Amino acid sequence: MFAGIDVGGTTTNAALVDGNKVVKTAIGPTDHHEILGSLLRTMDRLIEGVDVERIERVVLSTTLITNLIAEGKADRVGLVLIPGPGVNPKDYRFRTEPVILEGAVDYRGREIAPLRDDQIRATAQSLADQGYRKVAVVGKFCQRNHEHEMHVREVFSKAAPAIEVEMGHRVSGRLNFPRRAATTMLTLATRDHYRRFAEQAERAMRERGIKAPIYILKADGGTLPLDKSLDRPVETIFSGPAASVMGVMALTPVGQTSVVVDIGGTTTDLALILSGKPLLSSKGAKIEDMLTHVRAFAVRSIGVGGDSVVRVSDGKITVGPDRAGPAFALGGPEPTPTDALMVLGLTNLGDMTLARKGTGIIASKLGCSTEDAARMIVDTVVDRIVDTVNMMFLEWEQEPAYRIWELLQRTKARPQNVVGVGGASPPLVPLVAKRLNAVAIIPEHAPVANAIGAAVARPTMTLSLRIDTERGMYTVEEDGTLGEAKGRNLSLEGAQEMARQLLRERAERFGIQDYADEAEVVDSEVFNMVRGWSTVGKLIDVRMEIPAGIISSWRGEHGS
Amino acid sequence: MAADVHSKQEVSKIDAPGRRTEPPVRPARTSSVRKTGLIFFPAFDWAISPTHPEREERLLYTRDQIFEEGLMDFPEIVEYRPRLAELKDVARVHFCVPDVQSQVTEAHLIAAGSTLVLADALMRGEIRNGFALVRPPGHHSMRVVHGNRGFCNINNEAIMVEYIRRKYGVRRIAIVDTDVHHGDGTQDIFWHDPDVLFISFHQDGRTLYPGSGFTSEMGGPLALGRTLNVPLPPGTTDEGILYVLENLVLPVLEEFDPQLVFNSAGQDNHYTDPLANMRFTAQGYARLNEMLAPDMAVLEGGYAIESALPYVNTGIIQAMAGLDYSNVREPDYVPGRFVLTSEMRRSIESTVNHLLTIWDSRDDLVAKARQEHGRFYSRRKRIFYDTDMITEGQEETLRMCTECPGYLTVSTQAARGYGRLNTAFCVSVPLFACRSCIEDAREEYEEHKSEMKYDYVYLQDKPSDRFRAYCTRTRNEIVL
Ligand SMILES: [Zn+2]
Ligand SMILES: [Zn+2]
Ligand SMILES: [Zn+2]
Repeated sequence: MFAGIDVGGTTTNAALVDGNKVVKTAIGPTDHHEILGSLLRTMDRLIEGVDVERIERVVLSTTLITNLIAEGKADRVGLVLIPGPGVNPKDYRFRTEPVILEGAVDYRGREIAPLRDDQIRATAQSLADQGYRKVAVVGKFCQRNHEHEMHVREVFSKAAPAIEVEMGHRVSGRLNFPRRAATTMLTLATRDHYRRFAEQAERAMRERGIKAPIYILKADGGTLPLDKSLDRPVETIFSGPAASVMGVMALTPVGQTSVVVDIGGTTTDLALILSGKPLLSSKGAKIEDMLTHVRAFAVRSIGVGGDSVVRVSDGKITVGPDRAGPAFALGGPEPTPTDALMVLGLTNLGDMTLARKGTGIIASKLGCSTEDAARMIVDTVVDRIVDTVNMMFLEWEQEPAYRIWELLQRTKARPQNVVGVGGASPPLVPLVAKRLNAVAIIPEHAPVANAIGAAVARPTMTLSLRIDTERGMYTVEEDGTLGEAKGRNLSLEGAQEMARQLLRERAERFGIQDYADEAEVVDSEVFNMVRGWSTVGKLIDVRMEIPAGIISSWRGEHGS
Repeated sequence: MAADVHSKQEVSKIDAPGRRTEPPVRPARTSSVRKTGLIFFPAFDWAISPTHPEREERLLYTRDQIFEEGLMDFPEIVEYRPRLAELKDVARVHFCVPDVQSQVTEAHLIAAGSTLVLADALMRGEIRNGFALVRPPGHHSMRVVHGNRGFCNINNEAIMVEYIRRKYGVRRIAIVDTDVHHGDGTQDIFWHDPDVLFISFHQDGRTLYPGSGFTSEMGGPLALGRTLNVPLPPGTTDEGILYVLENLVLPVLEEFDPQLVFNSAGQDNHYTDPLANMRFTAQGYARLNEMLAPDMAVLEGGYAIESALPYVNTGIIQAMAGLDYSNVREPDYVPGRFVLTSEMRRSIESTVNHLLTIWDSRDDLVAKARQEHGRFYSRRKRIFYDTDMITEGQEETLRMCTECPGYLTVSTQAARGYGRLNTAFCVSVPLFACRSCIEDAREEYEEHKSEMKYDYVYLQDKPSDRFRAYCTRTRNEIVL
């Protein structure tokens, strides 16, 4: 049996899955101040009367990191940059004023300006004096040559031993220096909190007699053993929406194109599954105003939900983004979309008289019947959702392309299904689907689809290998691994074999070696380096991935 | 109707709405939109040949640099997806022999199409300026295309000009070619067009491919002074090029008052470029771009793929987006490294003065040319296609019309070595042609179709946006 628990913004959902069957579910409230408590209370209800020995796997998805950042409770982190020539670092909008060091590395990892030890020492001293306990050190192109970042850390360890230093190349090796800096800062800022949570969660599970391995769900829909995730807390941000998407993957036919609609109290989360593959945000997640390298599904959140306040301004209906309380029909102070849905007979979650009274407030302002007002309110909500979905498809179609084949292969995509998950979705999803000419699907267990998604998600992993045969070196983007590559005549096949091997090793380090064989080469290319008129070497890029997917025991009987 | 065939009214009839009053379009100057549109299309899967300068690797390090800088994430910059130009967009500019399909690959259509995507964004007011950082380049492609010249098959920038004119009714456009090589293709295409000001500065043609671009090349008889060539001595520095900009280009632009300014942004003036001998730096390029403030820049050449392109492109993108470019510099650059000798300075000053005289007397020059030539003007040319080893002979004839820029015919024959390739007769009717030129040009096309003198006969009918190609052997006509 697999257990999945999603600690969401308002509710904590749990599901127990056996083979291809959902055997038990539980829903409880989320207390923001006590994430672990919320998790355990719902967990306890889930495992009540269940033989915990039979649980083989527990997967958690939580808003812990999101909340820490949103509530400003993450740790304070100093930022030290080695930017070299290019953009003026002042033009980057970091949340803290960075310290700029001299020294530079170029795009192939060659040092083009040396560091200055006196400057590093002075920086370490000054940051220590300002009370910093954590410092992110990030150099432009340092993923292709670690020496500068390593050296800075070394000087810091002597000059300011109390400061914990994290280096950019260890967090991400992808191109994009400011994103790497932001991701490194967030990693440092949340890591201690995350570690504490992970330890407590693990202990609590063991106390309950659960011996199964515990996993955490990442923003890209993949699972990672909890103890292997301690270094990379930001990857678990947005695991909630990822859980919903995985739930939809699990609960709808394989290989189709679907819009995932998760309508909550005040927000609606939208995501796309294109021919069975969840769409990832192309460069990485945006966390508040910070652009990061975190691999995440492209989830769009809009400020309308079942409890959003409905108002009339300039003769027009507006919905949200705020919430004043529950729906009027449930004793709330302001009219909401839920009241309108009740008036139209699309749901019956409260007192009809109150629903009519609430909607009537809007009707009298517009000078129309209560029914007409209800229709207009619902239309406004549906419009917002449909417009956003269309925008998402358009943006996907308009994503830049850098190769001829990339440009030619992408055709228009339209949704086959609109799939509703979460509590408030059932009455609205058919209306959205109709407008998009798609089939409305409200899967069985829709309210706990996220917990099911967490329970049955499999691990993901990417590996991006770059080999520079002229310099005789290779780098791995994901964690900045750097090594020697021998042989100027390395073929593409040889490089792919090397990537496969590196991925296998990486999978072992992360305890997900069982899935290493699922990895596929997603693209690879070879650049001949020509100087004068002769070839002096090759640059080879190979990208591999274990994409987001559902574990086989679920698919075994469900699959098609 | 027949009575007023030459009236101004007929000319304005083909004008799209809004053209009659000709407001200055120049969104870069007037728009409140702050975004710079960028298309980066490095064509990582296309090369002329594996070791050719125009190969997959060319923009690889530029990609690494601009991605690592995070430039695409700046709110001032918006990245667009390229698209393929249509064959018709190409036919609006070029006579491709035998047809467009046989002269272009998908890569060419994407490079040209990228400029059109940005042109639309610019004209819709989504962006205040745009940079097509694309390959393959185009500024050596001439009006007639038998093959690849100077790494170019079709002229991206010219295709954009005619597209914008057709779709948005813009008439007066300036193109400033800052590539180190003479933009001979663009010059050829707009040679007879008085509404397109073409200024090219480049390393002196006596010392560099394509060996043209002298001050004496100043446009066809009805467009004299609307082509200005600024040959520069080898070794010219930032200071020299910025002098030309300040003392020639900007004042001339001010007077010409174009609705749009485009920049053929070659990067081979750089001090490390392997194909030329200039001393321009990344700072110089950024400054040039800032001063010129083009509505659109399109990459042309530039083959110092490691030592120049990553830095130059970062600088240009920043300058276009109004970001601070002062921190961009090549690893081996030290300020004051290159000095303009007093001899070079004198030479540049005298070129600039000479060109200003030409510019100031442009209307007199046209009037004189009218007296000199009768109803038709012709010239003969020989063109060499270095990449494809083709030689072409042309005879160009222009109707010296008093009401419009005049229609043009080109008779062309191409050969490779001793092997004859193709012959063709091409008729081009300018977008702003008068009724009589339109009718006579169409007649010439029909006449040549019935003769068996040429392999192919073409009619580029810009006023009706119809492009005809006729094969005399198969008697088949294709209309785009
Ligand atoms: Zn030039
Ligand atoms: Zn050039
Ligand atoms: Zn005429």
